[in-house]
Amino acid sequence: MIEVSGLRVVLPPATVVLDGIDLTVRQGEFVVVLGPSGSGKTTLLRALNRLVEPAAGTVRIAGRRVTGAPPAELRAVRRQTGMIFQQFNLVRRATALENVLAGRLGYVPVLASLLGAFPRADREIARACLERVGLAHLADRRADRLSGGEQQRVAIARALAQSPVVVLADEPTASLDPALTGTIMDLLRGINEERGLTLLVSQHQLETALAYASRIVGLRRGRIVFDGPPAAVGPAVVRAIYGDGAPA
Amino acid sequence: MRRAALFVGLLALAWTAWDTGADPVRLARGVPWILDFVRRMVPPDLSVLPAALAGALKTVEIALLGTAVAAVLALPLGFLSARNVAAPALFYPVRAGLNFFRSVDTLVYALVFVAAVGLGPFPGVLAVVAYTTTSLAKLYSEAIEGIDPGPVDAVRATGASRLQVLRFGVLPQVLPLFLSYVLYRLETNIRAATVLGFVGAGGIGFYLQTYLRLIDYPAASTVLLVTVAMVMVVDAASSRLRDRLV
Repeated sequence: MIEVSGLRVVLPPATVVLDGIDLTVRQGEFVVVLGPSGSGKTTLLRALNRLVEPAAGTVRIAGRRVTGAPPAELRAVRRQTGMIFQQFNLVRRATALENVLAGRLGYVPVLASLLGAFPRADREIARACLERVGLAHLADRRADRLSGGEQQRVAIARALAQSPVVVLADEPTASLDPALTGTIMDLLRGINEERGLTLLVSQHQLETALAYASRIVGLRRGRIVFDGPPAAVGPAVVRAIYGDGAPA
Repeated sequence: MRRAALFVGLLALAWTAWDTGADPVRLARGVPWILDFVRRMVPPDLSVLPAALAGALKTVEIALLGTAVAAVLALPLGFLSARNVAAPALFYPVRAGLNFFRSVDTLVYALVFVAAVGLGPFPGVLAVVAYTTTSLAKLYSEAIEGIDPGPVDAVRATGASRLQVLRFGVLPQVLPLFLSYVLYRLETNIRAATVLGFVGAGGIGFYLQTYLRLIDYPAASTVLLVTVAMVMVVDAASSRLRDRLV
């Protein structure tokens, strides 16, 4: 579902953030990218839909090329690749439902959408997604009036509204109260199981990663240092990922 | 080093005082004349009130129409001159053009447009449009450059097109600021429009200048009072609206 080979990302002026990343994710997998902060987790996820432009290597999602795709083709791939961010990245002044509707932008007629008009079918999809994350009753509330946990659930609904085949989640719980980590991760596991969605989630928290992942990819200094099932993550692997410092 | 700079600065200021003939004694000698001027203005001649009010209305109209048109014209220019949105090939020429045209004041534009389309409020409207478009475009672009990039990334990630990204990721963040800038420009344009009449571009300034030329100070003072009232009313209304926006 996700095929990455030889991925290299250089951020200006000349920092090599990722180098020689090879990764294949099959449909329905729940992959957690584990690594200390600064290991390149965020950059890896953002390079997969080219929010960050890779310097070299290829990325394919659901069989479509991402790297080298011209704008229209790139938008088509992005449309079926949901993304969830550490800081939620909702439009604060817009309502929960309006934020979720943004997930439909790749599907609706452009001109009408610019005037704020969305087809009824798309509105219904957005509403259903908001209901799936348990926030139907807050549809008309402005995003900046929602709690952090609610905002992240709206962001998940926005990703679901894209009818995605893949969801990328960049440290989805790092900005939240630890008590909410389970809620968000359970929600992600739920959509992974019920829709057979392929999930690639970055985490810096070892326990959470082990509890939810079907597969762990360990990242350290921009390289993959481990790739295997959670059961195979022992002290040696933890040391390989986190170095001598204790895992956070 | 710092002391030398201060010394040079003071020297320069002293020279400008000499060069402009700035002289406190001369000002003091002028005070009786100012008092005489004020004394001759009271009581105001209220018989010209209808004309003054009509002029004030014209001035408000000039400022309103000019600001409204400029608010719209400045939109594309604001986006094209925002570093984080526009391609460098557009950003640099647009910004340079805006800087060039913004260096000219509304009153100077009025002179140009009076020459081009003749006397009356219309060249006044054009002058307000010309200056306000460039100044709003600058304010818009600064607002755009200050946005949170997070929601923009999120909207891009949905597969939205460039225009959709601007509409759904950028615009909601800056719209309240834009409206607040427009109201602020409206306030300053009312003030600017009061003197447009001096160069033949319509509004209450025309009456003020006419009565001053006719040495009809009581009539001029009525016009002045109406001007002050008009500016205060518009300021109050506009600032109340602005408070609601933020």
